[in-house]
Amino acid sequence: MENVGALAVLLAFCVALYAIVSSVVGKLKRKPFLVLSGERAVYSVFILLTIASGILVYAFLTGDFHFSYVAAHSNNAMPSVYKFAAWWGGQEGSLLFWSWLLSGYGAVVVFTNRRKHREFMPYVIAILSTIQLFFLLLNAFVVSPFQVLAEGQVVTTVADGAGLNPLLQYPAMAIHPPMLYLGYVGFAVPFAFAMASLISRAKGDSWIHTTRRWTIVTWLFQGIGIVLGSAWAYHVLGWGGHWAWDPVENASLLPWLGGTAFLHSVMMQEKKGMMKVWNMVLIAATFFLCIFGTFLTRSGVVSSVHAFAQSPIGKYFLVFIIVGVAATIALILMRLPYLRSESELESVVSRESSFLFNNLVLLASCFAVLWGTMFPVLSEAITNEKISLDAPWFNRLMIPIGLFLLFLTGVGPLFAWRRTSLESLRKNFQIPGIAGLLLAIGLFIGGTRSPWAITSLGLCLFVAASIFTEFFRGARAIHQKNGINFAHAVFELTHRNTRRYGGYLVHMGIVLMFVGWTGAAFNKNVVKEVKIGDSFDIASYRIKVTDLQQGDKGNYQWDSAVLEVSKNGSFLQTMEPERRFYKASQQGAAHIALRTRLNEDLYINFAAAQGNQATIQAYVFPLVTWIWIGAIVLVLGTLVALVPSKVTRQYARTEVVGITQKHVTVEN
Amino acid sequence: MIIIVIGSVVSIAVILFLLAIRPGDLPKPVPVSPVAHLDERKAAIYENLRDLQFEYRVGKLSDMDYQATKLDLQRELAKVLAEIESVLGALPATKTPPAAAPASPRKFMCPHCAAEFPQALKFCGECGKSMKARA
Repeated sequence: MENVGALAVLLAFCVALYAIVSSVVGKLKRKPFLVLSGERAVYSVFILLTIASGILVYAFLTGDFHFSYVAAHSNNAMPSVYKFAAWWGGQEGSLLFWSWLLSGYGAVVVFTNRRKHREFMPYVIAILSTIQLFFLLLNAFVVSPFQVLAEGQVVTTVADGAGLNPLLQYPAMAIHPPMLYLGYVGFAVPFAFAMASLISRAKGDSWIHTTRRWTIVTWLFQGIGIVLGSAWAYHVLGWGGHWAWDPVENASLLPWLGGTAFLHSVMMQEKKGMMKVWNMVLIAATFFLCIFGTFLTRSGVVSSVHAFAQSPIGKYFLVFIIVGVAATIALILMRLPYLRSESELESVVSRESSFLFNNLVLLASCFAVLWGTMFPVLSEAITNEKISLDAPWFNRLMIPIGLFLLFLTGVGPLFAWRRTSLESLRKNFQIPGIAGLLLAIGLFIGGTRSPWAITSLGLCLFVAASIFTEFFRGARAIHQKNGINFAHAVFELTHRNTRRYGGYLVHMGIVLMFVGWTGAAFNKNVVKEVKIGDSFDIASYRIKVTDLQQGDKGNYQWDSAVLEVSKNGSFLQTMEPERRFYKASQQGAAHIALRTRLNEDLYINFAAAQGNQATIQAYVFPLVTWIWIGAIVLVLGTLVALVPSKVTRQYARTEVVGITQKHVTVEN
Repeated sequence: MIIIVIGSVVSIAVILFLLAIRPGDLPKPVPVSPVAHLDERKAAIYENLRDLQFEYRVGKLSDMDYQATKLDLQRELAKVLAEIESVLGALPATKTPPAAAPASPRKFMCPHCAAEFPQALKFCGECGKSMKARA
């Protein structure tokens, strides 16, 4: 079967090459036959890669260990869900997974645009297929997942595999990489449309309208992937951190920041025909940051806890990025005359300028994270000494930047488009400003002394109040005009402009996440070596060790502690943190015990067992649950923004009489 | 042996799928309006006007801001409409001759840009010119 898989990948490589040639030649020579053939080539690549991926997954599920990739990343005792997840658990499989996702995206793009955008679709196909070709080159010739174990010239096998990294054997980890990859790969689509519209000199913003939902969905996947990674780190690594500024974490954050900047600045182009060059640069930067992220994850250029994914494929990525960036810059420069702005910034005190600031700050944060991530490489190149920047360095830089972004999140909706007079400012800032200030003063009087925590919580209330005011004012106007009840008016308001009010919900999610992150200023922790019968205190909790146990579960051996948790003398619950040792991979992993409440988490890790003693790490993390609640609100808000608005973009026929129907509705 | 057969079948199937295209498979060419990008811009300005109206109604804008922004948007709209008119006016006269009768008795066609309307109008809603036939 491995030969069929390898052949499918090789055929897909040839067909992707054909897709590029036939689409471009078909477009230039005006041969619709060739253009259609190019479209079919995109479908073919998807089918071929589905066959190849199916063969690999089948090998995992049936434990076919003569595939060296299967033997290295799976073992018999592993549950089926992790056997499936092992598809993307290592280098070769994850790159095949990248290719397969891209081919799926390509097929959907071709199908949904089979009768639209005929002027630039051949170029979209050519660009997507070029990206596809690069990954297929790696799949077919550099890191094939279809290599077999051999002794000399004879194919061999092993009785059992080495198993998946135990850290990856966790439910969130089964979904985290696909989500991130859906994000990484998905940004290729708006990038392809943007470049295709430049190549074909297409007038207007049709590439933006067409890819708006693609971009949002991709951004959402990327966001979910990042949060799942964060949740995984919190629940699995045993130290309670949800973000450590690890290079691979940073790699996933970079395109998300770029995508966030793009989603905001693109509104300027739609509303006012401004920032056309900037949007091209942003979407290109976001796409190349995705490739760069994959490069960081897969090349091992910067040492990381994700170093299990190291290999020598870095040079291929580097060449692809350099050539791609150079070609993109050249194309944008050649088409500058087509990207002239249609209007200018009227006033510094306007929503446009808040968007501009938002973009600059997001870009600054992107650059700061990139600089911090690449610093070990740069320092090694210059001074021959590898200097890594640690989490406190990132925190010192990113906390103020993050708070300024939070401030802009609140300020943006309060400014009007084009200009905002002092009178409007006073009217709009009054309630949110006073609320935020009062909370900050209240926190200080209440004994909080961390300036970052006070600023953050004050800003959180400021932004929440500004969002609440937006909903309240709008719903009240509809309620008064239409006579419907208030809840219905809120629904109606949101439905009329899902993009705006969905966006506000996303902002609310970000506010809640900031509340959760701010809780870190009040974290407490205790490390104790304990025996049965010992007890110790952390914050207001008393923890008593009632038993220390151990056992064997086939796939792993385990040690655990049975702990009775009480507060102010009254028993709360029994908690059982566990330490696992996976036999196949000979690696340990934490299985923490967690008591989650809205105000704080009690987090207990079984660090080590020594005879009749155990080392227990106990933490209290205030407000951390709000990070996950915020993430859920963010997802819901994004889904609302994806729903078509009730009021589609139409000409107001009362103002211009008798407009024909042929261009009336514009995709919203 | 069976691997060679499977490989050959897959390869032939792919080649056939790529090349066996009948004339009926080709998508029908969709005419693209020469003013499509201006129509987009026009729609965006109307949307901006609607947003402005709503923000004013909910009390987010002062009278001064509202009036100034509304005037700006109206100016932009006039500019876009004029541009549409000039693009349509510059088109070669390959459209329906002015004297031609409307395709349907219930439709009214602009003699200048051939846009159709369900009711009689003095001026065309598409190009803004008089709906009376040219002299």
